[in-house]
Amino acid sequence: MASLKVGENKEINTNLIQKACSLAVKAHSKSSQKSYILEKTRGSSYVIFSFPGYWSENDWYDGEPFGETKINLDLFPSLKSIGVDEHAKVNKAFLQRFVDKISRNRDFRNEVEKAKNEKKQIVFTGHSTGGSVATLATIWFLEKYWRSDASTASPLCLTFGCPLTGNHIFSHALRREKWAPYFIHFVMRYDIVPQILLAPISSIKHEFQPILQFLNPKSTRASTNTPSEASNFYTNVMKNASSVASHAACKLMGNTNLVLETMTNFIALSPYKPFGTFVFCTGNRKLVILSNPDAILQLLSYSSQLDNEAECPDVAQRRLQQHFGYGNELKDCFNKLDAVLLESLEKLPLSADSTTTSSDITTINVALKDLGLSTRARLCLCAARELEKRKIGNKNSIDLKKADILMKYLEDYKLSCWREGLGYYDAFKIQKSTEDFEANVKRLELAGIWDEIIEMLKRYDLPDAFEGEKEWIDLGTKYRRLVEPLDIANFYRHLKNDVSGPYTERGRPTRYRCTQRWLEHAQRLPAGSCGESCFWADVEELRIKTNSKEGLAPFKDKVLQLEEQAKKWINDKVLDKDVLSEDSTFVVWWKKQPESYKLASCIKDIEGFKITSV
Amino acid sequence: METETSSFETSEMLSTFLASTPLLSESWRLCNISNTSTPRGFLTEQIGDVGYIAFSGIQTVGNSEPSCRNLVPLMESDGNALFIPLHRLNEGEEPVMVHAGLLQLFLSMHSSTSFQNQMLALMEKSKPIVITGHSLGGTVATLCTLWLLSYFQSVSSPLQVLCITFGSPMLGNESLSKAVLRERWGGNFCNVVSKHDIMPRMLFAPEASFTQLHFLLQYWHLSMNCPRFGMLAQLHDEDKAELFRLVLCHLEVIAQAGEEVAKSLFWPLGSYLFCSEEGAICVDNAVSVIKMMHLLLMTGSPYSCVEDHLKYGDYVEKVSLQYLNQGSFMQADIPESSYESGVAISLQSLGIYSQEKVAKPVKDCLKTARRMGLRPNLNAAKLAVSLAKINPYRAQIEWYKASCDESDDHMGYYDCFKLRDNSKKGSKVNLNRHKLAAFWNNVIKMLDNNELPYDFNRRAKWVNTSQFYKLLVEPLDIAEYYRTGMHRVKGHYLKHGRERRYEIFDRWWRERKVSVDENNKRSKLASLTQDSCFWARVEEAREWLDNIRSERDPRKLAFLWENIDAFEKYARKLVDNMEVSRDVLLKNSSYNLWVEEWSKLKSQPKKFSPQFPDYVNGEVIP
Repeated sequence: MASLKVGENKEINTNLIQKACSLAVKAHSKSSQKSYILEKTRGSSYVIFSFPGYWSENDWYDGEPFGETKINLDLFPSLKSIGVDEHAKVNKAFLQRFVDKISRNRDFRNEVEKAKNEKKQIVFTGHSTGGSVATLATIWFLEKYWRSDASTASPLCLTFGCPLTGNHIFSHALRREKWAPYFIHFVMRYDIVPQILLAPISSIKHEFQPILQFLNPKSTRASTNTPSEASNFYTNVMKNASSVASHAACKLMGNTNLVLETMTNFIALSPYKPFGTFVFCTGNRKLVILSNPDAILQLLSYSSQLDNEAECPDVAQRRLQQHFGYGNELKDCFNKLDAVLLESLEKLPLSADSTTTSSDITTINVALKDLGLSTRARLCLCAARELEKRKIGNKNSIDLKKADILMKYLEDYKLSCWREGLGYYDAFKIQKSTEDFEANVKRLELAGIWDEIIEMLKRYDLPDAFEGEKEWIDLGTKYRRLVEPLDIANFYRHLKNDVSGPYTERGRPTRYRCTQRWLEHAQRLPAGSCGESCFWADVEELRIKTNSKEGLAPFKDKVLQLEEQAKKWINDKVLDKDVLSEDSTFVVWWKKQPESYKLASCIKDIEGFKITSV
Repeated sequence: METETSSFETSEMLSTFLASTPLLSESWRLCNISNTSTPRGFLTEQIGDVGYIAFSGIQTVGNSEPSCRNLVPLMESDGNALFIPLHRLNEGEEPVMVHAGLLQLFLSMHSSTSFQNQMLALMEKSKPIVITGHSLGGTVATLCTLWLLSYFQSVSSPLQVLCITFGSPMLGNESLSKAVLRERWGGNFCNVVSKHDIMPRMLFAPEASFTQLHFLLQYWHLSMNCPRFGMLAQLHDEDKAELFRLVLCHLEVIAQAGEEVAKSLFWPLGSYLFCSEEGAICVDNAVSVIKMMHLLLMTGSPYSCVEDHLKYGDYVEKVSLQYLNQGSFMQADIPESSYESGVAISLQSLGIYSQEKVAKPVKDCLKTARRMGLRPNLNAAKLAVSLAKINPYRAQIEWYKASCDESDDHMGYYDCFKLRDNSKKGSKVNLNRHKLAAFWNNVIKMLDNNELPYDFNRRAKWVNTSQFYKLLVEPLDIAEYYRTGMHRVKGHYLKHGRERRYEIFDRWWRERKVSVDENNKRSKLASLTQDSCFWARVEEAREWLDNIRSERDPRKLAFLWENIDAFEKYARKLVDNMEVSRDVLLKNSSYNLWVEEWSKLKSQPKKFSPQFPDYVNGEVIP
């Protein structure tokens, strides 16, 4: 039984691929009522769900030049960038299709549940837009079952000639969650469908419907002739794909010309970006496999270029027909497996005529030649590789700073303040001793390091996996809990609330917002639930508010809420008891409140807390 | 880490991107129509969201030919204040100069009602606007773009403008090009220049003969209108050869002067897209642009340098279709390094890959341009690191302020520093003050030289840090100024002693993006006095107060009185709004002493002259 190696440690049975492929095509031709078909073979270790494609313009572009929309985070909570808090975008029509026909379909959910309980591997598959629905179904499964239950068998998504589905954050999030390897996309070199969404609808308005009509397996075509619009359609899509790819390449290669920025105000560039592993079929029984999203985007655009212009009409036709050639092509390929893994993208020969003696490089060169990659295209692949390397380099350089981030000094500072009977929040706020000053310098140093990390995150200059790394999440949490109180003390000491408003809403540095979201995402807690490091800011604000004539009364709910939270945080040991020391801002304020109130408060029950009446 | 990204030559990739957008071909299409159908004018068109305005290449330049000697200072000729941002100058810099005839051409067009109406209509309909023109029309387009950018800046309009010229002569001097960079407008100009076209290079040769030029323009204008008409005004071959030789010779001198001296009166502005039969590349470094203009012309001939001016249609079509093909690389000897192969592709796109004599210096140009392009981001990254290192010095000054403000002499850090003895504490703070000043002066210098990213002064991090620095440290600068008696040598701080950096930081702070309303009422005194020049005003007020005692001249007395009154009101408002820090109000602070003295003076009615009843009845400080 042959298997296709699609990654360092990942192999897929070729029979399974072929079966999935034929089912994916079969899903189209079934009567149009079925929104999916299910294939179970007795005794086999897997079940296959396959989804049909859709063939009207509105099934591709629903509003917007590129038909994209913000993802639905209820269904897909992981599809965002965590620290920067940006939601992924996804094709609106595909998402709608999935929500309406699949995720709300009780039969489907039951079948999935059943297969899961039987510990079978679930394979989601689809051809054309069916592949996009399969993609969303797979992510839905990963979110719903896989994330919470590690014993679940991992799913697999196999698509054939599938259009791009999500934007760069979509791709980023899948890589962060380490889900990207579950998605395998097969793409024929000349198939135009995977590129279509790189063009805005306005540029293909006239041609798109006839082309879809031609592609639709259900339509009753008068003839098998390629529609006359094919050639125009093809050049327009290619031109837009070239815009997207060359713009991306300029960025990858570090072009600094300001014209690049100006241009983006004048033309709309497609937001879509590949994710997962792509298997390109060269058309002569070879397969080229890679998983770097930037490199794949370049390949999508370059592999369809021509050797010379005269071929154009012929190629337009070939491209349309290739969309239905997957079954046969894969059968041929798997007969005599010849696949090249371009995973590392190292050792990339820049010239097609490279005269090297190394057999590895020769194999790669032949494969690149089969995809028609010129030196220009190969340079783009190099640039994608360099970017990945640079991100890893950035990560390594901040890993080296872990030693600097060790907050030994501030931990000692906290302890020594505690020993002297005043919590470090208040000691720092008073800034009386040289230790307080040194602590402030340390705070500034740490802020510098963290701000640099956050800047890199914002520019997506760190590996996608970074925000999922336990060590950094823990370090960020420790930093936030220990140092944020000092920032708050500094903020209220300098009365910055008078200038900018309350700390939590207006003054809180991104480095704390980010690290809080890391923890919340990792532990799957609701957004905003890990606000323990902002405790002092809440106290300060309530102190200011209750100082007015009305006193406590109008803010009673808020105060109660804070006390409940504080108690919980102290019990959970995420907030230290030094907040309850005799002279702390909090206790001093608390003691001033009416006796009746204090007796009912939950705070008084906390162990080690003494109310000495005033 | 950024040096690794630089292992690619990207000027060819950028041109591929530009050519894959519809902007180039649409612009040319409209230029072409404008050349034939609206000579001496322009036309507008709306394509999708984008509005286009194309100036005809057929223009008559005033009464004089486009001669090089005809440069005028923009500020003096700008009667209607159309280009205000370009009037700002750095010290020691030559004023912004532009070609008089071309400026006149634009100004007269600008004053026509038809132009005004069509521009208004275009701005209403379009989000972004492309301004384009062939030949002389391109230079008019450049001026039109400068005017629109100035206008948009003055009304804070978010509208975007892009100028695309085809084979246009230079417009102005190096100061113009620098001012454009300083306003962060460099990315709004894209000049398409074909390999041999003599027009964009013409003004580098000051001695080009008027008669030759006249015939040349006539030939071009007729040909633009209709290719056959060109026959009517062919130039003599000897004249072409003479022009070619002259321009080449002048360009060579300028190109070889390089970065050290700008020998040319004219200077490139924005990005240049050089195109040939084989492709195109896009470069933005001015020195490299001049050198490339020279090197590429070297590969031309007297015939091609004239004809190339009329071939933009072919070039644009050629590069716009590039995306369809692989761009096969014929040479087998592709260098192994990714940078070198990128260079090889660029050279091939210019059709000079195998022309050793030109290829080598062009390589150097590309290298320089790339290095200069990368510098800003590298510098900004380095600055961030040195800022982190310098922050503790600032923290020490904060610490100093706090300890002074709390000390028993009740003076506050301004007066403490001003009256400091030779104690270690004081001199340490003074040293820190110098270190911080050196750091920030360096930032300003880099910004002046365009060595920092274009949006540097809009980055919140830098705006906030500089503001904080200013509020904390400028009072110490003022204290030092008056401590050392500089005011007696140079005059008062405000007018004569304030460092330029603080004025720049003022501007950054004013121009920053303010989110929603920030008019929160203060509940306590600010931690730093919000007017960093407050103490300089106190010092002046002290002098007035001293003078008022000895002054006998009633006019001068009235003047002093007014000044003091104004200051008092101003200071009171600051105090009432709690915009001063506690040190201002300490018992022995200069301000507090001044207030006491002033109220004492006011309570002596005999001092008041009856001419100023207002002041007699004026408020008295409680």
